Formats: sequence, C-alpha cells, structure tokens
Amino acid sequence: MNTRNKILTAISILALSLFVFYADRHFDIYVVRILNVCAIYTILGLSMNLVNGFTGLFSLGHAGFMAVGAYTTALLTMPVDVKQQIFYMEPLIKPLNAMVLPFPAALFLGGVLAALTGYLIGAPALRLKGDYLAIATLGFGEIIRVIFTNTQNITNGALGLKGIPAITNLWWSFGTAAFTLLVLASIVNSSFGKAMKAIREDEIAAESMGIDLFKHKILSFITGAFFAGIGGGLLANLLGTIDPKMFNFIFTFNILLIIVLGGMGSFTGTIISAFIITIANEVLRFLDESINLGFIVFQGKVGLRAVVFSALLMVVVLFYRNGLMGTNEFSWDRVLDKNFWLKPWLKLRRIPLRKGGNGK
Amino acid sequence: MNPSNLHSISDQITMPEQEALLTAAKITMRFGGLTAVRDFNLALHKGEIVALIGPNGAGKTTVFNMITGVYKPSEGKIYFMNQDITGVRPDLITKSGIARTFQNIRLFKGLSVLDNVLIANHLHLESGFIQATMKLPGYRKEEKAFREKSLALLERVDLIGSCNDKAGALPYGMQRKLEIARALATNPKILLLDEPAAGMNPREANDLTSFIYQIKAEFDLTILMIEHHMDLVMDISERIYVLDYGITIACGTPSQIQNNQKVIEAYLGVDN
Repeated sequence: MNTRNKILTAISILALSLFVFYADRHFDIYVVRILNVCAIYTILGLSMNLVNGFTGLFSLGHAGFMAVGAYTTALLTMPVDVKQQIFYMEPLIKPLNAMVLPFPAALFLGGVLAALTGYLIGAPALRLKGDYLAIATLGFGEIIRVIFTNTQNITNGALGLKGIPAITNLWWSFGTAAFTLLVLASIVNSSFGKAMKAIREDEIAAESMGIDLFKHKILSFITGAFFAGIGGGLLANLLGTIDPKMFNFIFTFNILLIIVLGGMGSFTGTIISAFIITIANEVLRFLDESINLGFIVFQGKVGLRAVVFSALLMVVVLFYRNGLMGTNEFSWDRVLDKNFWLKPWLKLRRIPLRKGGNGK
Repeated sequence: MNPSNLHSISDQITMPEQEALLTAAKITMRFGGLTAVRDFNLALHKGEIVALIGPNGAGKTTVFNMITGVYKPSEGKIYFMNQDITGVRPDLITKSGIARTFQNIRLFKGLSVLDNVLIANHLHLESGFIQATMKLPGYRKEEKAFREKSLALLERVDLIGSCNDKAGALPYGMQRKLEIARALATNPKILLLDEPAAGMNPREANDLTSFIYQIKAEFDLTILMIEHHMDLVMDISERIYVLDYGITIACGTPSQIQNNQKVIEAYLGVDN
C-alpha cells in the first residue's frame, strides 16, 4: 500500500466516522434503524461469504448461528426483572436468571457460542460436499430453531424474548462491521485464506498440495459462525424482541441473496449489496400496500416485495453469474484508474482500450 | 495371465544394494468387480528416474493415486523411507515428501500464478490461524520467506513474467510447467509426474526432457513418471515398469523393454 492509498483510506475512515457521528444525532429514528440493519446485514453477509464464497462450501445454516448469537446476547443483557416478567410459562434456569453482563462481553460470548455450534454442526456436515452439504446445514439450521422453540426454560419458547435493551446504535453496528471486515480480509489474504481459496478452486489439487481439507473447512466454518453470532447479537439488541420464527431459512436466503448479488468471493460486493438489498427492502414497501393510481386501485399483497428479490436473484443467476463484483475487491488503484470509469463507455462506443494505459 | 508368469516378473525386479526410498509391495486396487491394478511391486531408489508405461486404461494413474493416498489399496503395503504410508491422507503424504502433478492439469485456475505456488508453501507454515489473522511478526516473517522462495521458483521456471496472471489464462505448456513448479514448492523428495508431455509436440517434449533433468539435479529429486511419448521415456528413464490391464508385464532398462515380446504384444497387439 503506498502513501497515497494510505491517506485516502484514512480520509475514508474519518469520513465514515463523521457520517456516523452526524447520523447518530440528526437522522430520524427510522433512517438510523435502516442504517443499523444495513451494517448488521453487512456483518452477516461478510461472514457467510467467507464460507460460501471464499472456501466454496455451500452452507445454508447461517440463520441458526445467528439465532444462537442473538439469544445468548439477549439473555445476557436483559435486566433481571424483565426476565422474571416474560418467563411466566416456566422460569428461566438458574445461572441465567440473575446474570447480566455488559454488552461487549455478551456479544463476544454470543459469537463464541455460535462458533461452538458451528463446530458441532461442521464436524459431521463438512464431510459432505456440494448440494449435500447445503441440505445438511439447512437441516441443522432448522434443528437449532426447533430446539429454541421447545426449550421453554431457556429461550421462552415460541413466546420469544421481549424487552431486550436497545443498546445497538450506529457506533456499535458500523464499528462491528468494520472490525468484521478487517478480520475477515486479514484471514482471506493470509496463507490460510489462500488455502481456503485453493479448496474452492480444486479440492483434489488442494489436498495433494498438502492442505488439510477438514481443518481449513472447519476453520472457515467456525469463523463464519462466530461473526454470524455477533451479527445476531447486534440484531437482537437492535430490535428489542426476538422469537425463533425470525431465524427460519428465509433469513438465510436473504443473506445468500446479498452475497450472490454482490459476488461470491468479494467482500466489496457483499457490502454494496447488503446496503442495496436492505434499503430496497424498505423502498419497495409500497408493493405490499394497496396502490391507488386514481383510476384503478391495486390490492396490496403482503410479501410482494419478496417477488422482486426472487426475480432479481434469478436474473443474476441466469445472466450475471459473477454478481456485482465477481471476485474483485475495491482498491484505490482500480478506482483512480481513468480506464476503470471509461471502460463501460468505450465498450459501448466500441473503442478499443489502449493496452497498458494507466490513465497517466 | 497365469500365476507362474507373475512370479517370473517379480524375479526380474533386481534390487540394487541401496535401500529403496519408495516401495510398493503387491498393491492391488479393486473397484467393485474390476481389478484396476493387481499385485503391483515397485522399488524406487534415491536419484532415479523411473517411468511407468502401458496402454490406456492399464492402471497407471491408479498406481499414482494409491501412492499419493487418493485411493487406499485394497491389498498390499506402500512404504516411504521405511514408513508404512498405506491409506494415509493425501495431504500428510505430500507433507512427508511425495508431490505430484495431474494428467488433466489441476491448477487453481481462478488464482494468480504466484498464489498457486504460495499455496503449495502453506504446508510448511508453522504459525497458527490466530497468529496469521493478527499478522504477528512470526507469521509475517514466514510469509515473506514463502514469497521470496516462490518468486525464485517462478524465476527458475521462467514464469516470473506472468506471476500476477490468472493461472487459467496461461497457455497450455506454461500451465504444465506451473504445475511442476507448484509441486516443487512443497519440497518433495519424490516427484510423481502424470503425463507431463501430454499434448506437446516433439520439440516441446524435448525441452521438457532437459527441464526434468535440470530440476532433478537442482532439487535432488527422485522421479516416477507416467508418459506416452516413447522417445522421451526411453531417453530419460533408467528403469521402466510396463502395466497392461493392471498387471505388471515387464520391468527393466529401456533396452530390455524395447525388446520385450510381451510389451510389443501389449502395444501392437498379437498376430494370431
């Protein structure tokens, strides 16, 4: 990284901090909430991309890990009297009912427990490949949800948890997203990350190059689960209420949509598409309501928004398989290269690109 | 083939005084009812270049797959430096010092040429996952050493100019070379080459011959290779094993093999 890029990076981080600082004070509560969800979806997308995009493991158990993180963090941050209030069917089991931890510790523990769950699920499931792995992890994810529905004295069952303190703010969500990006990018660029990519490219060749397949797959899986748990914890303390139904497989598919749209194997793509999908989800809300065009009234159908996303996913898979970014990442050199911006236009006008042009 | 013939073959395998680096003792591979390789014996000595030849479907690649741990032999044992490596995981076999290339090139196509070689260094990494993620000094040092070593290796095989290109974008001959370079990066004692000259014209095959000689000397290798280019095989190998329908029909020096009646029959067919 040269000096120019370092300065530009520092300026960007400062600009983002200023934005968060300003948004935290002046934006209305609705916008702040959407921005929070954007950042949380970024965390979830990044962690799922490590497993699915970089290691090439088609895993669909993400909602399950989020649930583990969300419940752990929520239970550890809820005040004692709230716990007594909402657990009226069966009281909360012993150590948990009187335990209240500070938010960072609770969040970290949520991640750790999700990682542990990831290990327990990954150890048997990662012996499978491709579609079979997808089915197995999907099944495990659902099992977690069903267990949470039935452990009344820990999770309050189908009643869910209410009155979770709303600690998550923009600093927490954007800060954690930045931290997640930092850690995951560091992994991906390390020797371990290269080994993971090798597994994605060709498992047999990777193994014959001395890469322990299981070790690297489970490392990726556990790391993914850890950050999914943290994302879940932030979400719980943003929403204030959680119940097991929230963490069904549709949630996993939302994250999958983000990483497929952004590009499997590109963190930049994941961040962009996490924001696009989350904001579009709000903007397209009018589709769920009745639309009055003056001369005709369309009856709203709840869930019509999902149709848009499904169609979008199909278009991406059919015509634009690499997603927004493919496996490319953001870099200052690329963005500041004149040809980078001119390329689509030149292509349109059929002007051949000068070879080796650096825009100098 | 009757059993008495088999005995005469194992008698043919003359063992030099020196102890073998790699030994296969009567390894057999069965896939359901099909016996792909039967009672294959091999003794590979340090510094040798040995070829494994035979018509298509003779079971040559199956032998490679058994040695490298991709398949576990149905019967028999494989010893490497007096250690039983039968049925050991492929990555551990590579770690112990046996590297290979593939018949149908298996590069990490979407990754850069340099990354392909760097990945082959990963098995030497001593830092743990957390150390690597936190980029601690110990890890950085190792990473830097890997990088220098890989660049030197790419320089050696004349691929340094394309070290940032995607491996899948290289021309065919260079992909073959990169695959050999990648195998060398694992620091092997034995290199298994599966049809390194496949798809090459005679001139390229000739270049490959000298290339193999050079790397053998430079990296102190023992080489076992499968090859169909007979010129290359006869030129380069000190001993040759001939497989046909999974059975070793001959074994000996190139001149012995050239005059072996059974080998001629296997390749040209028999006149009834």
